[in-house]
Amino acid sequence: MRRITRARLNPAALAAAVSSPRRGAVASFVGVVRAFHAGRRVVGIAYDCFTPLAETELARILRRAEKKWPVAAAAAHRVGELRVGEASLAVAAASAHRPQAFAACRWIVEQVKRRLPVWKKERYVGGAGRWLPGCALHRARARP
Amino acid sequence: MKRKIHLYGRLRDAGLGSCVSLDLPPRATARQALAALKAVLGGRGALLSGCALASADDVLAASDRVPARGALAALPPVCGG
Repeated sequence: MRRITRARLNPAALAAAVSSPRRGAVASFVGVVRAFHAGRRVVGIAYDCFTPLAETELARILRRAEKKWPVAAAAAHRVGELRVGEASLAVAAASAHRPQAFAACRWIVEQVKRRLPVWKKERYVGGAGRWLPGCALHRARARP
Repeated sequence: MKRKIHLYGRLRDAGLGSCVSLDLPPRATARQALAALKAVLGGRGALLSGCALASADDVLAASDRVPARGALAALPPVCGG
């Protein structure tokens, strides 16, 4: 399964990929394009991405999550033009017990927002658009 | 050395398209490459605030040498998800 894709995401497939009879907790997150932001009516978001680094970085994030917690983790980020209601990010983390699954799932989402080379341009009713502000990238001091 | 730098996010609206070709000194650092890009951007140089230079494998520190081969990109602050 490609982690960075222009295709519609399949969160159920991600959850299935990390599930096993030994894992009694599967936590998942789906980020969806919403219709309003900062008082403006949004019609969609264009996701731009430096794909080679994004693939590498997302793999690193998942590996680090699997070292920090006893979990199996998977994630996918959609890029290109998305409409309101479409999923942009899906994450799944499975563990024997729920605390580790919840913690890992949330950590992965936060890392994706801070480290993945992805940018979004909101498109508003009337045709205007705006690149959203974000987190400056710095090279991590130690790699897993 | 001639190096192409791919532009992403808000840098795509700088009027340079999706890629710019820069003439960099041999063994140039990421800092020097970003300075050269700023010069090309002219009055829109502020768009580079918070930007980093990256290869396909990693974000480069300011003092890192620009690799002689492979993809290079100027990356504004990110906001995935």
